[in-house]
Amino acid sequence: MRLLVVEDEPDLLASLLRAFRDEGYAVDGAADGAEGLFKAELTEYDAIVLDVMLPSLDGWEVLRRLRLQRKTPVLLLTARDGVKDRIRGLDGGADDYLVKPFDIMELLARVRALIRRASNQAESRLVLGEVVLDTAARTVHRQGEPVPLTAREYALVEYLAVHRGKVISRTALYDHLFDENEASLSNLLDVHVSNIRRKLGHEFIATRRGHGYCIAGDPE
Amino acid sequence: MITSMRGRMQLWHGLLLVAVLTGFGLTAYGVAREETWRRVDRDLELRVASLFGPPPGLPSPPPADMPREPRPGNMRDRIVDRIRDADVAETGGYYFVFWDANGDLLAQSPGTPREALQRPSVAMPDRPFGRGAGLAEVRMRGDVREGLVSLPFRELLLVGRPVTAEQTAMRKLATMLLLGGLAILALGLAGGWWIATRSMRPVAAISEAAAKIAAGDLSQRIDAQGTVREFAPLVETLNSTFSRLEASFAQQARFTADASHELRTPITVMLTQTQTALARERTAEEYRDSLEACQRAAQRMRKLTEALLALARLDAGEDPMRQEPMDLARVARESVESVRPLAEARHVALHCDLESLPCRGDADRLMQVVTNLLQNAIQSNHAGGEVRLAGEVSSKRVLLQVADTGPGIQATDLPHIFERFYRADPSRSRPNGRTGLGLAISKAIMEAHHGEIRVESQPGAGSTFTIALPR
Repeated sequence: MRLLVVEDEPDLLASLLRAFRDEGYAVDGAADGAEGLFKAELTEYDAIVLDVMLPSLDGWEVLRRLRLQRKTPVLLLTARDGVKDRIRGLDGGADDYLVKPFDIMELLARVRALIRRASNQAESRLVLGEVVLDTAARTVHRQGEPVPLTAREYALVEYLAVHRGKVISRTALYDHLFDENEASLSNLLDVHVSNIRRKLGHEFIATRRGHGYCIAGDPE
Repeated sequence: MITSMRGRMQLWHGLLLVAVLTGFGLTAYGVAREETWRRVDRDLELRVASLFGPPPGLPSPPPADMPREPRPGNMRDRIVDRIRDADVAETGGYYFVFWDANGDLLAQSPGTPREALQRPSVAMPDRPFGRGAGLAEVRMRGDVREGLVSLPFRELLLVGRPVTAEQTAMRKLATMLLLGGLAILALGLAGGWWIATRSMRPVAAISEAAAKIAAGDLSQRIDAQGTVREFAPLVETLNSTFSRLEASFAQQARFTADASHELRTPITVMLTQTQTALARERTAEEYRDSLEACQRAAQRMRKLTEALLALARLDAGEDPMRQEPMDLARVARESVESVRPLAEARHVALHCDLESLPCRGDADRLMQVVTNLLQNAIQSNHAGGEVRLAGEVSSKRVLLQVADTGPGIQATDLPHIFERFYRADPSRSRPNGRTGLGLAISKAIMEAHHGEIRVESQPGAGSTFTIALPR
């Protein structure tokens, strides 16, 4: 999953980036509204954390312009906690709203929920045959046994699982698993896929040659 | 002690009414009484005169002729006869008693009350009855009025009659006056109560509005419509006071909200930094980064709380400004030295060429003001810009100007820049650790000095801040 954090306070931006990276997200940061909007329009993020008070373009304006093009889930961060502000944020196209100061755990949970909702998923548990994925705890079980995955492997499984039944192109996978600063080696993905297959069974991820990868959808 | 305004008005009103009614009643009664007795006395006189006059049926000669009769005997006998004829039962209650000069009883009317037979000891007037003199003396004895007349040969004649009817009439009059007075008093008090209640009605409206305001509804105003002219200024004053109160409450609420809002960002930084740092093992460098970020946030909060405290103290007037003779130019030069490193880092040139600026004030506080202005001028300036200080002394005050070559201030922002936490660009958070209170504090300090601070600005051409102090 790839996120964008738009926050002008450098210390806050740094800690948010660190928190999301710790959780296995690929995260990009932007220090002002214009940069944030540029990145949000360029890349298909899974969610955006957007501060309202921003230089150059404020959060409301970024949100308004972004909504002309994309439906990316947006969580607004703001120091204003008036009901009017919250209503303005949600009516302006935000999917969630968090008032500063907040607990980082709550922010992480809200972002998880945001991504889950965006993929029409009601629960944080995903059952894929004998493999069970818990997106809240970030764990994978196979036949009831926990399977240790690296953060990147887990992110790959989660992304395919959330979009199960669909073929995901290699480019899309790169876009959602690596942030802007990572050198994307073309064979890195193959290495991760083969490691996952070794741990979760060869048929868990299907390869559609020339198209991408896929995890089988629900029986129905 | 009556504490109610209406009660006091009633009391005074009632007292006044009682005084007027009593005065009027007593006067009316006195006049009526006097008139009654005069009439009775006149009657008595006429009765006496009738003794001297010709027999009934003949026109009575004027009493002035009477003393021409030289012989007393003749006259006296006629009087005695007439007295003896005058039966009380027939004369309608009139009776006569007649004594000679020695005090011996000469005659009395039949039916004369026994008490009247005692010869009163009176000094005989020099002029006897008839020669322009009337009754020598008049007295009341119970419900009887008696008049005494002296005759030429020092005889004494008493004429009397019961005055029960007159007394009854006068009692009736007194009762009527009393009842009438009481009725008027009651009416007056009732009317007074009505007037007092009516005139107190605006006061009731005022206290009602004030009570609502005291209960927290600051939007309440007194309806000035229909208020009497005397209350209009009071209502106006109160309403404008309420308006100011409401505005100042709103300002205070906004200020508190702004202050807590300003504290949110550094608190968020500290929370997220510590929570992410503690989430798992980190490298020493990461821990140092986190601690440094927390320190920056804490410094920012310290600056903000210090500024808030300074403002609160200035607002409360807790620390009075010293009023010492001082040189504002010296203060300015010290400030310039303190901000020189900042100016050099930003490549801003400082020009300070000041003559002495003697004035009175608190040098430490004024240095705070000048330093704040200089920091703003440097931080808002572009690299290669200038900050220039200029001074001016007039007969009443000294001026110090801090002019920069920065971007200037938009005309729409100019009236607000001394407001607490005012942001020219609402979306912009505070750069460079500024609290948003610097100019507000400067303004409070200048006002505590009875001085002033003002700004002129041309967008694109820089701003000039001027502080003025009385000499």
